Amino acid sequence: MVFSAKLDSDGDTAKITLNGELDSAVAGEFKDVIEKAAEANPQKLVLFLSELSFMASAGLRVIIFAKQKMGANVNIYVIGATGPVLNTLQMSGFDQAVFIQDSYSD
Amino acid sequence: MDTLVIPAKPDSLSLIRQYVAKVAEAAGLNEMANYQLCLAVDEIATNVITYGYQENGQSGDICLRADLDAEKLTVIMEDTGIPFDPTAQELPTEEDLALPLEQRPIGGLGIFLTIKGVDEFRYEQQGNMNQNIFEMHLVS
Repeated sequence: MVFSAKLDSDGDTAKITLNGELDSAVAGEFKDVIEKAAEANPQKLVLFLSELSFMASAGLRVIIFAKQKMGANVNIYVIGATGPVLNTLQMSGFDQAVFIQDSYSD
Repeated sequence: MDTLVIPAKPDSLSLIRQYVAKVAEAAGLNEMANYQLCLAVDEIATNVITYGYQENGQSGDICLRADLDAEKLTVIMEDTGIPFDPTAQELPTEEDLALPLEQRPIGGLGIFLTIKGVDEFRYEQQGNMNQNIFEMHLVS
């Protein structure tokens, strides 16, 4: 499935919706969107993952990059990650570092 | 089972995953095991593409084949890029995995996910060929 990362800058919250399969071939697109989101100096980053069917470590590295780019004080929310993708986040200790939720409301 | 020979380029990763998903389904692996195997092969293929060939200005192919017996599914990836043994690399420690994101070391996660995700992973060098071998046990 083709990958896409769509940014919605909503006040001080950057919302990014990921679709498809996130591997190292397309991780650069995600990174570009993070850089664009960072320009607005958001206080919160919300990643919507319910339509993401695959995430390789390249995707995890972009999340690390997001934290480093936006600053340690910016909280990252990961919404709707499904079974195996959620499992990857947990295996890599990301559940200690980001807020993993089923749904999100402002 | 079929063999896949494919150029070692980033665009090939999607086709590599499709191949692995197909053999995993034929072997009767459940959804999680299927995904973990695809992820493991994707991670190692990514390293082969990035470090084995591209960074050295080389080009070449990745060859994938699968073996199914009563007890396990074995996927074997072969390439002739520079010798690289993933099992000899340093992996993130428990301490690393607990670090705040902004302090995390960038490397090692791919191989970590590979080793954690499959029942057995090993590397062998056959002449000038790297062989990465992934095994998934079949549930009876």
